Amino acid sequence: MPPPDNNLVWAILATVLCCIPLGIVAIIKASKVEQLWYQGRHEEAQKAADDAKKWSIYSALSVGLIFVVYILIMLFVVLINGVDGF
Amino acid sequence: MVSKRLLVVLVIIFSIVGLLTIYYFNNPSEHSFFIPCPFKFATGYHCPGCGSQRAIHQLLHLDIAAAFRLNPLMVLSLPLIFWGLGIMIWNYIYQTEYRVWLFYNKYFIYGYFGLAVVYWVVRNLPYYPFNLLAPNS
Repeated sequence: MPPPDNNLVWAILATVLCCIPLGIVAIIKASKVEQLWYQGRHEEAQKAADDAKKWSIYSALSVGLIFVVYILIMLFVVLINGVDGF
Repeated sequence: MVSKRLLVVLVIIFSIVGLLTIYYFNNPSEHSFFIPCPFKFATGYHCPGCGSQRAIHQLLHLDIAAAFRLNPLMVLSLPLIFWGLGIMIWNYIYQTEYRVWLFYNKYFIYGYFGLAVVYWVVRNLPYYPFNLLAPNS
């Protein structure tokens, strides 16, 4: 049986596309999956993989949140200054 | 239910093709409606992802050299990304358990992300040759 999916591809995508340091936690968790699995600590390996996924999702969500805030700021600027503000 | 999972994948692929169409017809260095990097927006410094949107535009126009000048790390990571996502999609559709073994290698993981952190710092240095790593159009 292979080790659980450590979702590292999402951490790479987060690094080259959205640059949020939360991805670091996902990387550290992902790096532990293999060793734990082959030590026979399957539950801990699964938990590390799940945590890696969780932190990748947090990273993506925080970018989504920043985009929402950015759009709100832009709307605010447009409301105050009109479209000439751009 | 392979067909249902196939449908999900097709919907995702169509959305991505839609996004890429926007990137094909609009150059992010000429239009302001593209969302900027939050890190650069907040601090004014480049992050490891800066230049990626402009680089995607150049890649879609098959100008790999221009894409490389904008974000070399992103261009070099593309094979890894396609490999990882491809295996992930395959696993999802056919419920298999394939793994990208490179992604489980500790030296690879820390090597890649260590490189990303070094890249993050040096592409902000205003000196030759480091300034070549900044997004140059």
